[in-house]
Amino acid sequence: MHDRLTQSMRASHLLALLFVLASLALAAMGTATDDTFYLRLGTEALIFAGLALSVDLLLGYSGVLSLGQALYFGIGAYVSALTLMKVPSFWLAMAAAFTASLLAAIIGGLIANRVRGVYFALITFGLAQVLAKVVYNTRELGSSDGMIGIPVIEIAFGPFSVSTGSPVGFFLIVLVVIMALYALTAYLLDTPFGRVLTALKSNERRVPFLGYSAWRARMAAYVLAGVVAGLSGALYPMLRGFVSPELMFFATSGNAVISVVLGGVGTLAGAIYGSVLLVILKSIIGSWTEHHLIVIGLIFMLCVLFLPKGLAGVLRPPVEAWLSRHRRIPGPVPDAPVLPAIAVDTKAAPQ
Amino acid sequence: MKTATITPIAAGLLAATTLAGSAFAQSGPIKIGVVTPLSGTYTPIGQQVRWGLELAAKEINAAGGIAGRQVNLLFEDEEANPSVAVQKAEKLFQVEKVDFLTGTVNSGSTLAVAQLAERNAKLAATTVSFADSITTDKCSPNMFRVNARAEQQSVALAAWLAKEKPKAKVFYLGPDYEMGRSTVAAFKSSAEKGGAQSGGEVFAPLDSKDYTQYFGQIRAARPQVVYTSVAGNDTVRLLTQLQDFGLLSGLTVVGASGTVTSQNITAIGAAAEGFATGVGYSPQIDSPANKKFVAAFREANKTDPDLYGADSYGLLFAYKAAVEKAGSTETDKVREALRGLSWQTPQGTKTIRAGDHQAMQPMYVVRVTKGKFDIIDNVSSENAIGPDTCTRF
Repeated sequence: MHDRLTQSMRASHLLALLFVLASLALAAMGTATDDTFYLRLGTEALIFAGLALSVDLLLGYSGVLSLGQALYFGIGAYVSALTLMKVPSFWLAMAAAFTASLLAAIIGGLIANRVRGVYFALITFGLAQVLAKVVYNTRELGSSDGMIGIPVIEIAFGPFSVSTGSPVGFFLIVLVVIMALYALTAYLLDTPFGRVLTALKSNERRVPFLGYSAWRARMAAYVLAGVVAGLSGALYPMLRGFVSPELMFFATSGNAVISVVLGGVGTLAGAIYGSVLLVILKSIIGSWTEHHLIVIGLIFMLCVLFLPKGLAGVLRPPVEAWLSRHRRIPGPVPDAPVLPAIAVDTKAAPQ
Repeated sequence: MKTATITPIAAGLLAATTLAGSAFAQSGPIKIGVVTPLSGTYTPIGQQVRWGLELAAKEINAAGGIAGRQVNLLFEDEEANPSVAVQKAEKLFQVEKVDFLTGTVNSGSTLAVAQLAERNAKLAATTVSFADSITTDKCSPNMFRVNARAEQQSVALAAWLAKEKPKAKVFYLGPDYEMGRSTVAAFKSSAEKGGAQSGGEVFAPLDSKDYTQYFGQIRAARPQVVYTSVAGNDTVRLLTQLQDFGLLSGLTVVGASGTVTSQNITAIGAAAEGFATGVGYSPQIDSPANKKFVAAFREANKTDPDLYGADSYGLLFAYKAAVEKAGSTETDKVREALRGLSWQTPQGTKTIRAGDHQAMQPMYVVRVTKGKFDIIDNVSSENAIGPDTCTRF
């Protein structure tokens, strides 16, 4: 036997793998039909999936609701935009967005982590609104109009290069970045650090008695989430060629929370599915009726009432069942069940 | 959808030769995409844009369409958010293959859509956004503006002020945010060119409850004129408080075009009396073309058109004239045809300046008399337009 967390994470990984396969199929179809719009809409959905991933890391693992995650998304987007307008380098823009969102998340984390519960939600909301208003009123950052004129760039990987203007090329780049962020987050959650986060979510007061600093773990989760949001945001101006203060507004943070709830809180892969679902729903329903917000709101409420674990709550149990059945049969993956079993045993031993 | 029935024909034509493909593009309905706020705060503006365009499309289609082709309007909600506007506009360009795009309201959306139009080699126009940047430092060869920009409004008002109160001392009171400060700066420079002197300026936070704290400063400056660019409920409080303190007597209050509107004029009541502003349209314009337009608009929508409805209505006729002149809906040809184009609108003759794609039009000064706006002056299009500072094309 191995513990439920590992097993459900494995199911999430399989869902993520299915997602990548579906994305690759879309990319192939898009190339075959010479499509631009759907590939670029898919790219946008992936970028917002990165933001949803960061919300899920906080909400689903350390158990705090951030209503201002768009703050770091916006910082990533603006820093990337400013960098790209000076030097058209993908790597430099990503590095700059990483540094800026890291620093901002440390500062934001020092403020927000002084409180928890509903106060944490309010502080994160407030921080994002304050910065959004500052950007909204700063002429150097384009104030309310935002900044246009972010160039289409070539992303160089040694001998290869891909243009951000190529719908399929940039879609694949964004897929790689977002999946790398997923893999990094999932890996960290599988380490002892991840277990401390899960412990925080279930009972924060007990964590110090186990010898861990609750504050340090919460802070680390917050900074990680900020960086994930910042790196996702850095991709936005490359896709759309502009940034505007609306990227930092509550609508952006709120959509990310809705994506996570639709997809399934605490599943990571669910956040990605949820975000794609929300972007597609908004695009289709928005063209169909001007009352799309009502429709989305109803879907959201129905989902909370009848699918409290979101899409992943529906998709994951069969995958988990399949995985555990599959593992009992010796053959294709004989060593897979052994390793986690040992890992759990060693942890269980000191008790 | 109509497109569904013609797609097989299109596919057949495309398969035959590429020439056949372009021949197809020149028949069938002309599709015009409208990306405008249909939900949220800006819904009333989006509604006027929609009504104006729908009325124009109905009239054009009844008269035989554009170059014999019917006009088909496709609406998308942009939620007054540039990120949404760009996504919806891309859908219209790429999936619906619209020939032309319009409807954006806030200037951030207009600028972002202009860039998108450039990257998709299509044309777009705004009928609402008035930020000067759209046709000055951030002008785009693919974006046109048929409504009056901020500078035209302030120039018209300043020209009237120079006649009415020569060398007046003006006190400026704006809302304390970027747009508030830039509208005050723009009017101040126009007014001072006309000989006005500054009696001081003050910026009050948005949504201020109490303006009386600035009244000492206003009294000490002894201005003949107060210019303000506050809007919505802020105007209600500012003007009623000025009245309560007896400061309105002998004072001319002028402001931005959004300061006193049909939405807040009843709440302001008598304090709005005498307020003057510069606008590009008023339903009271006394011309046969406008009377016909107002009557048709009222019959279709049970309400008066405002400047957004009138400018949107006028746009389709500019596009019609340009396409018929160009003999095609191709981007480059229509762009050439739109440059320097003069056409008739409810406001009178408008001309698109070739250098910056800004429409030149006569401007009006309106003043509140007995709770309604009356036209009291007009400024010719040449005098209101200001210099062309677009350097990109």
